[in-house]
Amino acid sequence: MKLIKNLLVFQMIALSFLVIVTQAYGGEKSLLFHAGLGQRMALNEIKGIFEERHPDIKVNFSYKGSGYFIADITRSKQGDLFMPGEEFYLLQAVERGFLTDYNPQTDIPAYFVTVIITPKGNPKNIKTIEDFAKPGVRVGLGNPRACAIGIWHEKTFKKAGIWEKVKENATMSAKCIPELGNAAQHRAIDASIVWATTAVLYLRDVEIIPIEQKLRGIIRLPVGVLKFARYKEEAQRLMDFILSEEGRAIFHKHAYAVNPVIPVDQQGFCLDGTTDQDMEYLVNAAKAVKDESFPVNEKTVGDLTEEVLRQKKTTRAGD
Amino acid sequence: MALGTRGGWWPGLCVATAGGILALYVLLVTSNWIYLGWHDTLYFFSKSRMWERFWLTVWTSTVSTSFSLLVGIPAGYALSRFRFPCRHLIASIIDLPIVVSPAVVGAFLFGITSRFPFDWISEYYGIYIGRNVYGVLLVQFTVTAAFCARLMKASFDMIPTRFESVSRSLGASSIRTFFKVVLPMAKNGIIASMIVVWARAAAEWEGLMLFVGATEGKTDIMPFAIYLDWNGGMMGWVTSMSIVCILMAVSAISAMRMIGGRSNVW
Repeated sequence: MKLIKNLLVFQMIALSFLVIVTQAYGGEKSLLFHAGLGQRMALNEIKGIFEERHPDIKVNFSYKGSGYFIADITRSKQGDLFMPGEEFYLLQAVERGFLTDYNPQTDIPAYFVTVIITPKGNPKNIKTIEDFAKPGVRVGLGNPRACAIGIWHEKTFKKAGIWEKVKENATMSAKCIPELGNAAQHRAIDASIVWATTAVLYLRDVEIIPIEQKLRGIIRLPVGVLKFARYKEEAQRLMDFILSEEGRAIFHKHAYAVNPVIPVDQQGFCLDGTTDQDMEYLVNAAKAVKDESFPVNEKTVGDLTEEVLRQKKTTRAGD
Repeated sequence: MALGTRGGWWPGLCVATAGGILALYVLLVTSNWIYLGWHDTLYFFSKSRMWERFWLTVWTSTVSTSFSLLVGIPAGYALSRFRFPCRHLIASIIDLPIVVSPAVVGAFLFGITSRFPFDWISEYYGIYIGRNVYGVLLVQFTVTAAFCARLMKASFDMIPTRFESVSRSLGASSIRTFFKVVLPMAKNGIIASMIVVWARAAAEWEGLMLFVGATEGKTDIMPFAIYLDWNGGMMGWVTSMSIVCILMAVSAISAMRMIGGRSNVW
């Protein structure tokens, strides 16, 4: 009998928790924001500011890998805003009619820029894209069917004319970018190309090498309001905030390129030095985290100051 | 049987294998702890975010386990004792969520929640069903309910039916028999199963990834948070939370051994 009594008490406690939680969820407009995992840090900051200014609106993220969203939205027909990790996924949503008014000219708050990463100390002495073709370099490639970085690997190495040789050097076919970052961090590969936003997460354990202009890829990161948005007006307001100067500045703190105009060619490769300054900050940031004597200020690392300080706080990154 | 007295090398080899497995897991934990370092351990373990997530994991899996038990105990008893039509069919359908990946469960939950009457409810109240902590509970319950029924069936199977027959022959009703005879006898099995189910719920991740998605501070239970932070390159969080998860599992299992004593489920 004692057991049953215990079980019942246990049930009551459990149910009372449920009631408390129910009350916490009532009575506010909450936006469902489908956002790619990679944008988490920047978007959490944006959420904080936005919710403070609009106390009646709550932003609920549904962070997932970008590849999961199309299936989710197709099945659930839910969600207000959509910001996957690459334009590729957003175009899929446009194709299926989930997003009706996407305009690539205005709806891009930020861009990814490609950079080379190597493990700490750069053991194979990688300096340029051409070095990826050297025999014995273990190259990490992305799977082009699973993530956009894979498509960019192919594009970049084909443009450099070394695709066949790099393919022979490849030791890894990653399904998402963090896999490449982690592999470099743990010295499982000698070099790879990733977005600057990924590279900046591993400042202590990787070396960052900017890519020369004609091979440097610029990738759009779009945002859009979904067709079946429940709170269209509020969603639009949040989107406007993300696209505003202030929103962009937050993205810039996490190594996105936010220049309103970055001249690119047909394929998306850089045409001029608009992003050079960001690249310099990034390289300096990697130095600053590893070297205690390196000065951390606006001049050396630009908007990456907070990111550098965050990673200097602990040996293993956290916040 | 003392080692080495009789039987030559075979018992020794078996014990050595068991020791080897233990050593592997101890090595896993210690190497990661060394990787994290003492300074970072203190830093991350003193962060409130860590304990918020820990608490979220604990209470969600506790609630979903209690619902699983509500369903699982009668269902397990039915499967163990009664003969009814389609019994084998039901038994195999109940086994499905154990065999099928939780990812599929997560994907299939869309089928329920986007249909009548749930679409109507979510429209009326302006909420998104399954995008908040209820979604977490739903996934955990769906994955563990079958598991729970299965374990309960095993516990009840261990109890000889003779006791029930005697109780019934002495005039007790079947419900009285269940609560006075069967349940107390199955106590160890039930507690052991409960902790296994709890641990299973606390480790759920795939279903959440597909069905719920993470809202920080609301739906990111520990295994999900580890995945999130792994994607954000925060190896400090990943390592320290993994250590907490392992400690949680170890204490759950030791608690089971202490409370439940010997049981036949494990």
